[in-house]
Amino acid sequence: MRHPNEGVLRRLIDEPAGVSDADRAHVAGCSVCLRSLDDARADAQLVGAALGGPGAVDPDAAWARFSAASAPSSTTAFRPARVPGRNRWGTAVRRPAVAALGAVVLLTGAGVAAANDWLPIFQTERVDPVEITATDLVQVPDLSAYGDLQITEEPDPEQVADAATARERTGLDVPEVAELPEGVTGDPAYQVAGVLGATFTFSADRAAQAAAAEGEVLPPPPAGIDGSTLRFEAGPGVAAMWSQPTGVPTLVVARVGAPKVLSSGVPFETVRDYLLSLPGLPDGLADQLRDLSPDAATLPLPVPAEMVTSSTADVDGSEATVLTSRDGLFAGVVWVEDGVMTGVAGTLSADELLTVARELG
Amino acid sequence: MPAAATRGAVRPDLEEVFRRDYSRVVGVAARVLGSRDQAEDVAQEVFLSFGRSSVPAAEAPGWLSVAAAHTALNLIRSGRRRASREETVASAADTVTPDVADTVLTLEDRSRVRAALARLPRTQATALVLRHSGLSYAEVATALELSPGSVGTTVRRAEAALRKELNRHASPE
Repeated sequence: MRHPNEGVLRRLIDEPAGVSDADRAHVAGCSVCLRSLDDARADAQLVGAALGGPGAVDPDAAWARFSAASAPSSTTAFRPARVPGRNRWGTAVRRPAVAALGAVVLLTGAGVAAANDWLPIFQTERVDPVEITATDLVQVPDLSAYGDLQITEEPDPEQVADAATARERTGLDVPEVAELPEGVTGDPAYQVAGVLGATFTFSADRAAQAAAAEGEVLPPPPAGIDGSTLRFEAGPGVAAMWSQPTGVPTLVVARVGAPKVLSSGVPFETVRDYLLSLPGLPDGLADQLRDLSPDAATLPLPVPAEMVTSSTADVDGSEATVLTSRDGLFAGVVWVEDGVMTGVAGTLSADELLTVARELG
Repeated sequence: MPAAATRGAVRPDLEEVFRRDYSRVVGVAARVLGSRDQAEDVAQEVFLSFGRSSVPAAEAPGWLSVAAAHTALNLIRSGRRRASREETVASAADTVTPDVADTVLTLEDRSRVRAALARLPRTQATALVLRHSGLSYAEVATALELSPGSVGTTVRRAEAALRKELNRHASPE
């Protein structure tokens, strides 16, 4: 009788019942097969030991973390800017509009894609997966500690079937990619979000309380600022995302109405500068405020220099910011035109992305 | 505006599947990554994707295991930077819980195995990890769309390749 193949011998180690009686009988009486079996067993043990295992795992705690991480986007469109301490980038990335895209640019490396929610589980020390979400396309700073913040319009983020539906929902033309770069295949998933609107009425009393909570005294407010109102608008937004069959995102193209702010009475800059002078203002919130401009012309994009290199390039007459991760694994190109921000990001080279950007329909 | 039902449509059996399969999914990712913390991060993402999928519940264990293996393999494949740090630092607090193997395998061996794992053909690496994570031959075959007879061969080749990698470095010269 011929010797059973190495696969049969291997299975004999784990699942002897899965091997035929004839093969088992042969091996038992065959010195060649027994030697091969010993080798296979030794290799299996060595590799098993090298691979190790997870040790103790706590599914209850994991479920709690999972629920906490995935709940917000499905329940509320607006999320205050508080972030788990574990995610150092959280403050930097949870910002208006293209922030989400920025984060994809900065943090996408590999992992599961597809995207409805932002998973606040990423550690800065390594390139980690991150998911773009329609919710994150439109955010306003959480100023509720300093006055009355009211959400007047909810963006109702959702995944839609195709570009036509996305256009219908947002009024934005989904950027059409003329030619997919090598390695990007299939159809994209489309995410949309409507306009997020919010009003903020500054309250000197509330700000004084916030300052007191930090053990500080509120600096005297400029004339007219108490009771003045800011109106924030961000969105709508649309994103198309291509992924590998395994779920790894390869290319994201997004377009959003750049966040803008309108002021009643006191100029926005006055309110902003005063807010920025307040003690205890969280860094992330301060960044958000700094990046907001009344004309929606600036690019609210954090560029952490230790992770990415940044340069500029021309995309159809607009100055685009080009970000490349220092490990070269991913890149992104972002620009603003007529109050609309467009971004292209993915696990591609900056050149490939620039080509995509310049050929967007 | 569409009803809330269209938003974040998460499958109703998610919690049940999560609690049932979480440990196994972490186990798969941990065998690839050598870090339980990273493995748990991978598991969270995998379940997030699963929550939005329409994978039949009966196929969930295989689907989740394959997704965990692929996601983790992608991480080590793309994470050259991290791997090299792992090798130089060689002992972070969150490496896999020690077991008997620690007496014969150094952390360097382990990270070498992981590097070798990243270089294996994807099916071999995945089959190997799934098998060592406790999936039966039939489950591995179904999950990877292999013929049941070829699972043993695939796993065996992967193990031989990894052993070779370990021996190469273990030899004194």
